[in-house]
Amino acid sequence: MNQITAILEGIGSTIQLLFRAASYTPSLWRQRARFIDQCYQIGYTTLPIVAILSFFIGSVLALQAGYSMSNFGAKQFIGSLVGLSMARELGPVMAAILLAGRVGSAIAAELASMKVYQEVDALVTMNIPPAKILVLPRLAAVLVMMPVLAIIADLVGWFGGAIISKYTQSIAIEPEAYFSVLRRFMVFKDVLNGLIKAEVFGFAIVLVCCNIGLNTRGGPREIGASVTKAVVVSLILILVLDYFVTKALM
Amino acid sequence: MNNAQQTARVGLFFLLGLALTWVTFETLSDGKVFKDRGYILIAGFESLKELKQGDEVRMAGVKIGSVEQTRLAGSRRAEAVLRIDPKVEIRSDATASIVMAGLIGTNYIGIDLGTPTAAALKDGSEIRTKVTPDINAIMSELGNLGQKLEGALNSITGAVNGDGKTPGLFQKIDKVVSDNSEKLTVTMTNLQDVTAKLNKGEGTLGRLINDPKLHDELVATVTEIKTAATDARTFVTNAQAIIDQVKSGKGALGALVFDEKTGTDIKNTVANLRAVSDKISRGEGTFGKLLNDDTIYRDAQTLMKKANTAIDGLGDSGPITALGVVANSLF
Repeated sequence: MNQITAILEGIGSTIQLLFRAASYTPSLWRQRARFIDQCYQIGYTTLPIVAILSFFIGSVLALQAGYSMSNFGAKQFIGSLVGLSMARELGPVMAAILLAGRVGSAIAAELASMKVYQEVDALVTMNIPPAKILVLPRLAAVLVMMPVLAIIADLVGWFGGAIISKYTQSIAIEPEAYFSVLRRFMVFKDVLNGLIKAEVFGFAIVLVCCNIGLNTRGGPREIGASVTKAVVVSLILILVLDYFVTKALM
Repeated sequence: MNNAQQTARVGLFFLLGLALTWVTFETLSDGKVFKDRGYILIAGFESLKELKQGDEVRMAGVKIGSVEQTRLAGSRRAEAVLRIDPKVEIRSDATASIVMAGLIGTNYIGIDLGTPTAAALKDGSEIRTKVTPDINAIMSELGNLGQKLEGALNSITGAVNGDGKTPGLFQKIDKVVSDNSEKLTVTMTNLQDVTAKLNKGEGTLGRLINDPKLHDELVATVTEIKTAATDARTFVTNAQAIIDQVKSGKGALGALVFDEKTGTDIKNTVANLRAVSDKISRGEGTFGKLLNDDTIYRDAQTLMKKANTAIDGLGDSGPITALGVVANSLF
C-alpha cells in the first residue's frame, strides 16, 4: 500500500514540478547562461558515448539481420531493416537510456546533494524557486539537445550498419545498395517519429530525475539511493513511454 | 573552459543537429515532411489476397500511392481504397491488379498506363480491375502439371520396358534383330562391299565420287545448263517484250488482237465470205452455177466432142476446108 502511495506521490509531485517550472518559462532568457551550461552537459558531453553505442548497435543489427535474412534470400533488405529500426526505435531509445545513465544520474545526484545539504532550502529562503533555476534550464536544454542526439544516433547507426554490411563476408552488400534500399523503404516521417520519441523520453527523464533529486530526504546515503532510483525509474519510464508514444504516432 | 567557448560548442552542436536533420529530411522526403494527401480511388476485387493497409500502389513499377484501407463491400466483393499522388493522373481505361512482389507475402497494386487519350479518373471513382492468379493457384497448377508429367513419363517407361504382358519397345527391337540376324548380316556384308567398291572408285557411283574427270564433266554440264538457262531467260525476256508490244497494240499481231477496228473488219470479211459461200452453195451467181449446175459441164462436153470431130475432119480435108469444118462443127 505504501509503495502504491509512493508511486502516486511521485507522479503527483512530478506533475506539480512540471507546472511550476513551466510557469517560470518567461525567465528563461535571463537564465541563458545556465541553459547553455545544461545544453553543454546534456548534449555535447553525451555525444561521444551516444555515437559509439549507436555505431555498434547499427553494426550488430546489420550482422544479425544479415545472418537471419540470408536464410531466405532477403539480405538485400538489411538497409531498410537497420534504417527503420534505428530511426523509429533504437536510436531514440538508446540515446534516452544513455541520457538516463549519464545525465539523469548526474542531475539526481546534484539536486539530491543540494537538497541534503540544504542548499535548496537556502534558495527557497532567498525566494528563489528551485523549479526556476534548477529545473527549467535543464528541461529547456534537454528539449533542444535530445533531437540532436537522436539524429546523430540514427545516422551513426546507419553508417555502422553500412560498413558492417560491406565488410562482412557473408553479407557483402555495397553501401550504395544498402542506402538505396534504406531510402526506398523509409520516409522522413519515420525519422520524425524517432525524434519526437527522443524528445518525450528526454523530457521525462530530466523531469523525473529532477523531482527525485529534489525530493531526497536524509543524509549522504539517501543521495546514492536517489540516484539509483532516478536511473531505474527513468529506464522503466523510457520503455513504458516507448510503447505508448509508438502507438500514438502510428 | 570559459563561458564563451562553452556557448560556441553548444551552438555548433545544435547547428550540427539541425544540419543532419535537414540532410535526412531532404534525402528521405524530397523536401516534403508530409506528403500531399492525394486523391482516392476504389479498386474492387473478388479477393484482396495478401493485400493490406499501407501496401504500395505502383504504376508501371513506379510508386504512386498506397493502400489506405481494405474493406468488404457486400457479400461477394472486397474493396481496396487507394490513395494516389495528386500529381499522377490515372486514365479511365487503366486496369489495376494485385501483384505479388516477393515470395514472403508482399503484395502491391499494379496499375497499367492506359491510353493517353482516355479521361483521367476523378477523386472517389472506381478503377477497372483484373484478376491475377495468386501463388496458391499457380502452385496448384504446378502440382497438376507435375502429376500429368509423371503420368506421361510412366507411359513412356511402360512403352519402352513393357508391362509384363506385352513386350516393351526394346524387347521388340531385340526380337526383330535376333530373328533377322542372318539377313541383317548379309545386308551389312553387301553394304560393306558396296562401300568398298565406292571407295575404290568402281561402278558409276564410285567413279562419280572418285574420278575428277567425271566431276569436271559434271561441272561443265552444269555450266551448260546455266548457259541454257541464261538463253532461256533471254528468250523469255524477248518473248515478254513481244507480248508487251502485242499488248500495246503495235504490229500486225497486236492490231489483230487488240485493235477493235481490225477485229470489226475481220468480222465483216468473215460475214461477207459466209454470204458468198452460202450463195455458191445455193447455186446462185455464175460461180455457184458453175459449181452446182451440170448443164454447163454437159454443154462443155458436147462442145469438146464436136471440136474433136472437127479436128479429125480437118486432118482429112486439109487446111483449106478447116474453117468450113470448124464452122460446120460448131453451128
